Amino acid sequence: MTTRTLFIGMDGATFTVLDQLTNDLPGVGVVMPFLSEFLRNGVRAKLRSTPNPLTPPAWVSLMTGRTPGHHGVFDFIRAEEKGGDVFFTLYDARDIRTETIWSLASRQGKTIAALNFPFTAPPPRDVDGSVVPGFIPWKHLRRNTHPQDLYDQIKQGVADFDPKELAWDFDREAQSLEDLSDEDRENWVRYHLPREMQWFRIARYLLETKQPDLMAVMFDGVDKLQHQAWRFLDPALFSDHPTPYEQRMRDLCFEYFRKLDGYIKELVTLVGPEAQVFMASDHGFTATTEVIRINAYLKQKGYLEWRAVGQSEAEQRRDATMFANLDWDKTLAYCRTPSSNGITIRVARTPGETGIAPAQYETFRDQLIRDLEQLTDPASGERIITEIHKREDVFPGVAMSDAPDLLMVLRDRGFVSIKNIEPVVEPRPEPAGTHHPDGIFIAGGQGINQGREIGTRNIVDVGATLLYSLGLAVPEDLEGQVPEESFTEAWLSAHPVRIGPPTHSVGGNEAGAEDMSEEEKEKLMEQLQMLGYME
Amino acid sequence: MSIPYTQIEDSVVQIVEDMVQDWDLEVEDSVGPHTTLVADLGFSSIDIIHFTVAIEDHFSRPKLGFNELLMVNGKYVDDLSIAQIAAFLDQKLNTPAKQVS
Repeated sequence: MTTRTLFIGMDGATFTVLDQLTNDLPGVGVVMPFLSEFLRNGVRAKLRSTPNPLTPPAWVSLMTGRTPGHHGVFDFIRAEEKGGDVFFTLYDARDIRTETIWSLASRQGKTIAALNFPFTAPPPRDVDGSVVPGFIPWKHLRRNTHPQDLYDQIKQGVADFDPKELAWDFDREAQSLEDLSDEDRENWVRYHLPREMQWFRIARYLLETKQPDLMAVMFDGVDKLQHQAWRFLDPALFSDHPTPYEQRMRDLCFEYFRKLDGYIKELVTLVGPEAQVFMASDHGFTATTEVIRINAYLKQKGYLEWRAVGQSEAEQRRDATMFANLDWDKTLAYCRTPSSNGITIRVARTPGETGIAPAQYETFRDQLIRDLEQLTDPASGERIITEIHKREDVFPGVAMSDAPDLLMVLRDRGFVSIKNIEPVVEPRPEPAGTHHPDGIFIAGGQGINQGREIGTRNIVDVGATLLYSLGLAVPEDLEGQVPEESFTEAWLSAHPVRIGPPTHSVGGNEAGAEDMSEEEKEKLMEQLQMLGYME
Repeated sequence: MSIPYTQIEDSVVQIVEDMVQDWDLEVEDSVGPHTTLVADLGFSSIDIIHFTVAIEDHFSRPKLGFNELLMVNGKYVDDLSIAQIAAFLDQKLNTPAKQVS
């Protein structure tokens, strides 16, 4: 048995950065020489992310070939209204309402390995292969690794295996609450160098010992690093006359990508020329230059009321969590989390509930849209929120009712703030990294065209492509399509794309993780803040 | 079908032991009914989230309503013992759904 399909995910990877690093930079050389050669011999395309280009919905779309309106994962955090309060819960693998490619491949006789993908914990039982989940603290890796004995196999078989280096270190991330100091930012980048090496070593170990039909590994340091160090990587932002610190940070970022290039080279070499190799990101990256305090704006417009915050430690801590801390009896529309970039309208389903009457929904929402359109730059008159989408337009599907009623796209593509601070619009002291909808798709290996750039593909196409590469039919209900222009005519002639029976139904989790305590919410927000989703 | 209390308690102990085996804890006694999650085992809030998910996963019951155990009179409890958790599960797992508030 040999691995026929290798997938390398790079969270947040963008050609804005990779095109620099795969070309000769004056005084630096080619930072990623292997990827440079791979691109020359393969196919590349921009990859359009989910409507809100965010890690949870985007990776789940990639893993299912379905859009968020069907798979049901919209954010890191899910909210439920209970007894006049709004409770926040964490999404996990049980919330995914559609079948994953891991399950699809397994039940058709293929073995898989999935490393560091979000929402693969708790591990699915129907997977034939290896799963080491991402976004899980080291203390919980063992229980969430599949099969049960894999963790010990990795401990024994992978040299210098260290779960503390590998997994999310919540304590470390909680240390930084506001903007990072120069020193902390430098340490943040250094922190990801050994992490990626750990994931690489596990991938190499599984390739050497198990040779799964589909080997998939995701390197998420790209995203983490770019959030904090975007201005050192974006060619449009980096100074022609950098300070020693700026130069050191740029060199450190290059070191990260140089090592990543080495990992990619070794993995591609291991699967050999007979295999097909695909790389993709869940979204791209760009610069955000201003803070938009959307709930402060909605307050001005009369849609919500802040909760009065007393002097007690508990109340102060609650307010500092930066979850929407509102008077729920007087709130009709609000933004739940910064990463959602969405507005939720409260609809009274029963008498006595706070919210608008169902019959008023369309009228209310249209007025809300007009009010959001009126948020403009006083200097230029330009709209701050350039796109406002109704959820039925961007999240159609069985899970649409869990989506925010409106999805906003800001003019700089940043994530909103939900803090109770004025002014509503404020420039950032310096540009920060944020998500762009255009990620990357790269293909190479047997049967792949050489040196070709194809038109923009959609993130749901990746799941379909991986199934096709495994020799499997693409289920008829997958929204993703195989990018046939990536493959040679000879390959397509010998391996025509087949459309097969629909995916199996999945028991969705209506409860999800348990309600979170204030402390838990606080912890999570600290992490999201580190990633740049928070002001 | 009813699950005996002792079986529930054994399962909780097993989940806890499995969870903490790599945590480098210096615990004098083995995990038992009187073991507490925070004081004895150093659970953080995120550990408790994963613990509740592990229990729900073990019993194949995704909606056990752990907030009823974790919160008393509107405030989160400081700590929980294995026995308290087992008693909560006994009530949830062995009471017909329509009788559970």
